[in-house]
Amino acid sequence: MTSNASPADAILLVGHPNVGKSVLFHRLTGAYVNVSNYPGTTVEVTRASARFDSSAALLDTPGVLALPSRSDDERATMRALLNESTRCLVQVGDAKNLRRTLTLTALLAELGVPMVLALNMHDEAAARGVTVDIPALAEELAMPVLATVATGGEGIGELTGSLGRARAPEALLRYDESIETDIGAMTTAIARLAPHPYLVARGLAILFLGGDDEVGRWLAEKAGAAFAELNALRDNARQRADDDLPTLLARERTQAADALAASVIQRSVRSRPLLSQRIGQAVVHPVWGIPILLAVLFVVYEFVGVFGATTLVGLMEEDLFEGILNPAFTQFVDSVVGTGWLQEMLVGQYGLWTMGMTYALALILPIVTTFFFAFGVLEDSGYLPRLTVIANRLFAAIGLNGRAVLPMVLGLGCVTMATLTTRILHSPRERLITSFLLALAIPCSAQLGVVLGMLGGVSFTAVLVWALAMVGILILSGFLAAKLIPGRRIPLVTELPPMRLPILGNVLKKTGGRLKWYLIEVIPLFLLGTFLMFSLDKLGILPAIIRAGEPLVSGWLGLPPEASAAFVMGFLRRDFGATGLFAMSSALSPIQAVVGMITITLFIPCFASLMMMVKEQGMKTAMAMVATIVPFAFLVGGLFNIVLRAIW
Amino acid sequence: MSPDHDPSLPLAFIPAGSEVRLASLGQEIDAWQREQLTAYGLAENRPFKVLQQRPMTVILADEVELALEHDVARHVWVKRKANENDF
Repeated sequence: MTSNASPADAILLVGHPNVGKSVLFHRLTGAYVNVSNYPGTTVEVTRASARFDSSAALLDTPGVLALPSRSDDERATMRALLNESTRCLVQVGDAKNLRRTLTLTALLAELGVPMVLALNMHDEAAARGVTVDIPALAEELAMPVLATVATGGEGIGELTGSLGRARAPEALLRYDESIETDIGAMTTAIARLAPHPYLVARGLAILFLGGDDEVGRWLAEKAGAAFAELNALRDNARQRADDDLPTLLARERTQAADALAASVIQRSVRSRPLLSQRIGQAVVHPVWGIPILLAVLFVVYEFVGVFGATTLVGLMEEDLFEGILNPAFTQFVDSVVGTGWLQEMLVGQYGLWTMGMTYALALILPIVTTFFFAFGVLEDSGYLPRLTVIANRLFAAIGLNGRAVLPMVLGLGCVTMATLTTRILHSPRERLITSFLLALAIPCSAQLGVVLGMLGGVSFTAVLVWALAMVGILILSGFLAAKLIPGRRIPLVTELPPMRLPILGNVLKKTGGRLKWYLIEVIPLFLLGTFLMFSLDKLGILPAIIRAGEPLVSGWLGLPPEASAAFVMGFLRRDFGATGLFAMSSALSPIQAVVGMITITLFIPCFASLMMMVKEQGMKTAMAMVATIVPFAFLVGGLFNIVLRAIW
Repeated sequence: MSPDHDPSLPLAFIPAGSEVRLASLGQEIDAWQREQLTAYGLAENRPFKVLQQRPMTVILADEVELALEHDVARHVWVKRKANENDF
């Protein structure tokens, strides 16, 4: 290490996906990060002050399946390792899967940074009859090793207490002699040409020889023109190797981890699988999997669609807002500002309170709250990764694999969040197709609630027509997108984490965190949208838009002219537009209700998700999607208008 | 016959409930996906159990359940347990 390094203040949590890093991060900082029981939840590094040491910043890094980095998650973690002034690494490992944990330790140990190993989910290991000799392991590694159960808060005090004793661990292995020669040459060259302030050259050499692009980029930047020398050394090492060099390096680490794990693990023989394992196997069973999925969907529908969108919305909208708050607020505004444009802006037809806040809080909040709660329960139960197995065949038809079901289901909560989560998909092609389908045919929970609330009031047939239309369009457009977008489908390989009984406190925390994120995004946009509508109305532009849109909205879609206003609102948020149609539902026939909801569901995604699409896919691609989606929505809506009028 | 002399079979054709040992990962599997499988714990000679084959191959390696599509499982070569002492 060089002496001119800045004082190290970062403590990095690193480890495999789904080992509890984010829960531990919450325990150590009090800061909430989205925690889920499937890989890819933490897609970026999250930073917060440590509770136990105000001078230290704790970083929650995305889970790494292995290093050298290959996926976006792994690259983000590697960037954190390269760019942070690291005081200490806390490797969070799965206690019941020590071999895999130690395979990663074998690489991290080479970085020369003080480390602590937290063997998390110790309770699950014990339940499976797995016992780890922790003192022996700590002695072998020459660093603190602790047992923790992050969800229950066990071992957290011991963990924070051990950070002061963190030490750069003993290397787990010496590689094969010829590989060691290459590592030695590369180490010398890196130490001379591109020394790192915190990481030792040998660790960087192993990563670079293993093909880590992030390390390669860092070295290229640091070494400048001399990087060619490092590249030449790597090319020579690859040519000399008997097999693929990254594979050889990984194999030797795996063997060393196996040997160490075998010396410190004891397994007691179990007569039969645990209940959680049997449930986990039942939900992906070829026969029982589908009925279980249908039962889950029914329960979610009853909770979100019936309890949230009907009962709670009724209580909030009719009883609380229309019965108490709106009359009281209107009276207050009338008494303070009298009549006039300010009064209209606050409590008129397009009033900030009577429209903006009422839509956001009375109509949307109960629906998204129940959805996020239900989603949180499914996440924490371990069901969602198993859903990827059930859904795989369906997604294969649209050029994706079952992994895409995770952003799709999350999209039923919030398309913006889901667009960000497409990062868990492995190829740019999968991300593009999934982002497109999210923008086109996946209604967010707010919109879904409004659709179900409106069409449920018409008839079950109306709901069925809408649902079949959406599924049909999703499959058809996915099929076409897969044909048009070059590249090939990647077969699914996924870990199935254990089924667990969700802890109410954790689900509530997660629901609260998502709601906060959602409301911060929704309320300003709803208020802005309402203000725009008010301004357009006052300036006489809205009536002009309604007249201009009449041939399309009334002629082609068969809706009343006033529905144009809902589509104007839909440019800001689809659910805002859907709510606009909902508000005029008494004036719509069943066919108009179905056509309106099909069109607005397919309509342009909300402003926030559009911005996320730009961020994830680039401006050109995002605009191409919008240019495809808007005409497509009107085209399909009009076709349904013609067909439904002919047969219904 | 020792397991070392058993013929290797594709994982996709092994009945559920069988205990096997990994022989090799075929070159037909993408290099990064081979690395992924190794990272999940599928290293040569490691034992695991086949839990089911439909709709996907699901295996239990140590305490990790892993689901593999048949396109991958048919290129994962394994040796079946011949007798109780093999594993």
